[in-house]
Amino acid sequence: MTPSREGARIALAVGAALVLGFAVMACVSDQPWAAFRALVTGPLPSIERAADGHLVMRRLVRFGAWLQDATTLTLVGLAVAIPFRARQFSLGADGQLFMGALAAAAVSLGLGGVPAVVALPLAFLAAALGGAAWGLLPGLLKTRFEANEIVTTLMLNVVAVQVYRLVVGRVLNDPTAGFITTPPLPDVATLAPLIARTNVTAMALVAPAAVAAALFLLRRTTLGYEIGLAGANPWFAARAGVPVARATALAFALGGAFAGLAGFHVSNALLKRLPVDLTPGIGLEGIVVALLARERVAALPLAALGYAYLRVGAQAMERTTDVPREVVLVIQALIILFVVSDRLVPLALGLARRAGARIRGAA
Amino acid sequence: MTLDLVAAGTLAAVLAGAALRAATPIVFASLGGLVSELAGCVNVALEGVMLVAAFAGVVTSAYSALWFPDAPLWLHPWLGCAAGLAAGTALAGLLAVFHLELGADLIVAGIGLNILAQGLTVLLMAHLTGDKGSTASLASFALPSLRWPGVDGVPVLGVLLNGEGGGGHNVLVYGALVATGLTAWALRHTVFGLRLRATGENAQAALAAGLPVKRLRYAGLLLSGLLASGGGVFLGMGYLTLFQADMAAGRGYLALAAVFLGGRQPLGTVAAALVFGAASVAAARLGLLAVPAEVVFMIPPLVTIAALVLVRLHQRRTARRRAAAGRAALLSPQRT
Repeated sequence: MTPSREGARIALAVGAALVLGFAVMACVSDQPWAAFRALVTGPLPSIERAADGHLVMRRLVRFGAWLQDATTLTLVGLAVAIPFRARQFSLGADGQLFMGALAAAAVSLGLGGVPAVVALPLAFLAAALGGAAWGLLPGLLKTRFEANEIVTTLMLNVVAVQVYRLVVGRVLNDPTAGFITTPPLPDVATLAPLIARTNVTAMALVAPAAVAAALFLLRRTTLGYEIGLAGANPWFAARAGVPVARATALAFALGGAFAGLAGFHVSNALLKRLPVDLTPGIGLEGIVVALLARERVAALPLAALGYAYLRVGAQAMERTTDVPREVVLVIQALIILFVVSDRLVPLALGLARRAGARIRGAA
Repeated sequence: MTLDLVAAGTLAAVLAGAALRAATPIVFASLGGLVSELAGCVNVALEGVMLVAAFAGVVTSAYSALWFPDAPLWLHPWLGCAAGLAAGTALAGLLAVFHLELGADLIVAGIGLNILAQGLTVLLMAHLTGDKGSTASLASFALPSLRWPGVDGVPVLGVLLNGEGGGGHNVLVYGALVATGLTAWALRHTVFGLRLRATGENAQAALAAGLPVKRLRYAGLLLSGLLASGGGVFLGMGYLTLFQADMAAGRGYLALAAVFLGGRQPLGTVAAALVFGAASVAAARLGLLAVPAEVVFMIPPLVTIAALVLVRLHQRRTARRRAAAGRAALLSPQRT
């Protein structure tokens, strides 16, 4: 299918999911229209004319939240999309993100008095390595022991979250804080905001750069070619002398590195310290993003922006109306189902055409 | 000495009962996973099926008491049970339609349905009770427990058969045992079981042999939904007597692991599910000691991964031994 038709199909699927989501909202809410408006316009800043004639931008915090969320989602989307090139379903972005965040925070805290030019790259690298190492594990388990990667990545997520809690609670714990958390990361290791009063940092630019790097790697390097071949036809690839096992394991590790960068984003740009109860689950959202992009790595930032828009809108909706944000889970699930149902749109079109013909025949 | 023996035996019986209770939902779900896996459709939506079944069961039993105040009390939990089984099976049916009719990828659609179940249950729960955490404010019912008469005085046996408090085990605990036997028998000894397995083994060959592959896959997925629903209903109406957000807590995925761990055999799968149940009980008991809770929570997933690796190594060793034995038989001079 051509990219434009594919795009139209996805737009149709998202539209249908939104309509059904609205139907669900109408069932559980007294104010469905207000809720829907909050969902659809929530992340946008409002521009108002102040009393002295100047234009004032309001609600920049939510706009910032949108870009921050899109950054995380782009990176975890890469963590799903790259192993998927090798036809591996990695659900492990969560654990990799936690490990990346932990590594970045540990390095930032451990460095002490070094300038930012040293501290930032080191923390960045540590996050990528932490994520990659955690990603390599299911890769090795799959290629060495044929352990089902869906099961192992999910199990490793649980382990990673517990390791994270153990380290934050018992090793990096700041006893002076009122809750269990690491001490604030030193200023030299954190990123300054690009937009005032938000946490939109240089990471918002790193995310598209990471996508470009991944594209280069997949299209222009031997490893990328091997990963694609291992996914397209592992039997043929093995016959042709491609190291299928190595390429598959490295695809997992590469994905993990990007999830680790998402962890760096969380620790050194968004939170600037790591609380013990950091919520897991964002990694699974990477699946949605990767799906919306339909395996086209270049489309990941766009899919992430669209999906983050929905998520931030849902938070605005929960705050202003009686609809819980879980409605977005429903919409998200419907988007997933409609997007992967290849035969849904042709079937619907065929039914519509037949119904139209019958009406015309009756007339 | 005999007293020590009795005490040890009682403790073992208590632990065995706890492990069995913890394993029951996983046993149900893993049997479901096994049936669809053998039909060639890996059912990732087990988690969502359990959630939906638990939710429908709890809510229906509570509302049944409101709608039919004159009905006998024993009716409400069974109505809930029926509704839970129906709802879970319907979700599995949805997966079957999306995969078999609409060409959706099975794994991705399964994940999608899990997310749908997670969102819908919380949404409806918030709508019905105003609480996003649990249905504690609804007066829901538990399914009855079965007691063995006449064993109460017997030292170890009494505790084993009727539980620590002597209240007996939930009917679904026995249901899981029956389901295990029935599934194992049906897969091995009925025409339907044979055809189901043929479909999963080689769909092309099954089709060429005239089997209705698509219909068999529908049957496999629906049956897997029904079985996993049993686990969900037990969670909400036996293990606990309420519904909690994200109540399945990864048991559906654990069940999937049990299928692979058990070598896609009924008894192996159930054995793996029992090991998972025992691991979670052991984790809870270790939590009482000085071990950090985080370490305790790591045990079940690490056991799963280690078991997957060990089973693989064992299979490889067996295969190598068989090959070696075959070579030896071929090379031996006394062959006839």
